[in-house]
Amino acid sequence: MFRTSDIVLIGVMVAAAAMTYTIKRNAEVQVAAVHKLRAQIHTEEDTIDLLKADWSLLTQPARLQKLTELYRPQLELEPVGARQIVGFDQLPPQALTIENLTAEKFDIAPDDGLLAGQDPIATGGIQ
Amino acid sequence: MIGRLIRRKAGGQDAGSIVVDGARKATGGKAKNRVLMTMAVFFGLYVTIAGRLVYLGYQDPESSGAPPSRITTSRPDIVDRNGELLATDIKTASLYAEPRHIVDADEAIEKLSTVLPEIDYEQTYHKLKSGAGFVWLQRQLTPKQQNDIMQLGVPGIGFRTEKRRFYPSGSTSAYIVGLTNIDNQGISGMEKYIDGQGLTDLQLSGLADPKDLAPVKLSIDLRVQHIVHDEITTALQKYQAIAAGAVVLNVKTGEVLAMASVPDFDPNNPYNAQDKDRLNRMSAGLYEMGSTIKSFTTAMALDSGKVNMDSRFDATRPITIGRQTIRDFHGKGRVLTVPEVFIYSSNIGSAREADVVGIEGHREFLHRMGILERMKTELPEVARPTEPKVWKKVHSITIAFGHGMSTTPLQTAVGAAALMNGGYLMPPTFLTRSEDKAMQEATRVVSEKTSENMRYLYRLNAEKGSGKRAEVPGYRVGGKTGTAEKVVNGRYSKDKRFNAFLAAFPMDDPQYIVLSIVDEPKPERPGIGATAGLNAAPIVANIIRRSAAMLGVKPDFSHETDAKLVSLE
Repeated sequence: MFRTSDIVLIGVMVAAAAMTYTIKRNAEVQVAAVHKLRAQIHTEEDTIDLLKADWSLLTQPARLQKLTELYRPQLELEPVGARQIVGFDQLPPQALTIENLTAEKFDIAPDDGLLAGQDPIATGGIQ
Repeated sequence: MIGRLIRRKAGGQDAGSIVVDGARKATGGKAKNRVLMTMAVFFGLYVTIAGRLVYLGYQDPESSGAPPSRITTSRPDIVDRNGELLATDIKTASLYAEPRHIVDADEAIEKLSTVLPEIDYEQTYHKLKSGAGFVWLQRQLTPKQQNDIMQLGVPGIGFRTEKRRFYPSGSTSAYIVGLTNIDNQGISGMEKYIDGQGLTDLQLSGLADPKDLAPVKLSIDLRVQHIVHDEITTALQKYQAIAAGAVVLNVKTGEVLAMASVPDFDPNNPYNAQDKDRLNRMSAGLYEMGSTIKSFTTAMALDSGKVNMDSRFDATRPITIGRQTIRDFHGKGRVLTVPEVFIYSSNIGSAREADVVGIEGHREFLHRMGILERMKTELPEVARPTEPKVWKKVHSITIAFGHGMSTTPLQTAVGAAALMNGGYLMPPTFLTRSEDKAMQEATRVVSEKTSENMRYLYRLNAEKGSGKRAEVPGYRVGGKTGTAEKVVNGRYSKDKRFNAFLAAFPMDDPQYIVLSIVDEPKPERPGIGATAGLNAAPIVANIIRRSAAMLGVKPDFSHETDAKLVSLE
């Protein structure tokens, strides 16, 4: 009764159905993953907004001023005076020392950090 | 099959013509009545159902569960000139309850109060027992509170996220940034200005996607703004004044770097923003500016060409006009030169300077300087200056030293900027603007020469005159004090004053105008006065000392005789 071609066709049909199901199932899984990621991105974006607001709240000049006033005795903080701000052209020539002379002789650059315009002082937290 | 049906139908008709006739006779037409009755019953039934449907369609559905989320429109962030946040949208969660689904109200409140200690027990209990479909319990929770409440696992409560405008700087920039209402629409300050720039249309068309809204960059520098706010707050307490304010204006671009007025309000909790004394006095307050206006009188006299720096004015005797007598506060009782009139702040001398120009010329000059025009700027809160309807001689004389007309402090600063920058009047702006752009909008109001003379006079007044207390070593400050008597019941009061100090720095090439005002200050200590030189000038000095480095003005001691920097030590 069943011809070979029928069996083959049934087989193809079943295979097609199975494939369609798998594809559909996979797509659903992917869609769910996309939704999840979207939700995550959304949450992250909101968090970023919130953190930005938080950051600006923490770095408010008004707050920083209060903190400096509070820790002034401990950290020996003082407001910058006008006389402490100078340009390079206003700096007097550096006094010559023995170290400078010897360094020149042995061709060793004196204090790289200062020449490169970097702050040579390393704070404890900075490695 | 269809054929069979048709055939049967046809047969039935044939038979019916005989049977029905007979049946009708047998029942006496009752069958017809029954059919009609059945029809009527069914018709009535369907009409009732249709009517009920229409009725229900018009009925508002009973609120069950949470109301739909309120769509709050997004607004762009507002940032200062360095990108520091001044206003932003943040999402907050609000807690609601569905009393019908609450199992045990007592337990629910008990649990909630562990997270929200300030919750009102009795009120909340009534809310939860009301049997309503939906009640708000607490609006705008912090993310932490929201998380804690979720952890409690109380049934019948839930959260709704709402967008809320948040101002990290609080009261510091309250008047400039402004406020929004509950629907996130700007109602004052720059928030209102942004709405007027097409944001409202964008929101209405639903295109205001938060990601597409570029932040609005203001000309304000938050650091300087804080300094100004801090100084005037201190001054308000120190001099027990009813109000104080200050503005820092870029002379070359017309940008407002900082502007504050106290008393103010916290935009995050603006319960008192509508109070009568909460007013941005710098742009919306009208004052008789007093002697600071002499800057303009002097500039006008010099610019007219009829007066030069060596001209002399007789200030020996008070001027009497009508019932009024004009006297000098620091009277010298002699003939004064133009610089002397300025540094001794001579009312008589200023009146005579105005006299040289004439009444119409005087009026025209003040209008040209924008002192008497309504200022055009982004901020919506701007007052219209007042002047006499018809200018008579007496008006010209009193206006020469700043009485008899009122203007806003910000306008005075803008006018002074024109005197300092070489004579270009540029409308003030709260948005960033380049120097070139400012020059395109600028109009020349006084000559280069007049501007140069005014710079000299400002510096001279700070060195020798009433502005000594505004001196900041290294920053070459120049300025003019103004101590105006306030009008109380139609008379000038002797003990109620409005003080102002109008300064520019550095005087060799002015970059910034700093104007401070103090309304009705009391003496700092008994025994000393309460003139502008003693309270308004120190405010300016403090602002300049603290902010000059941030404003990019380099200190220069070469004009001073003190010892120079000697070593790196």
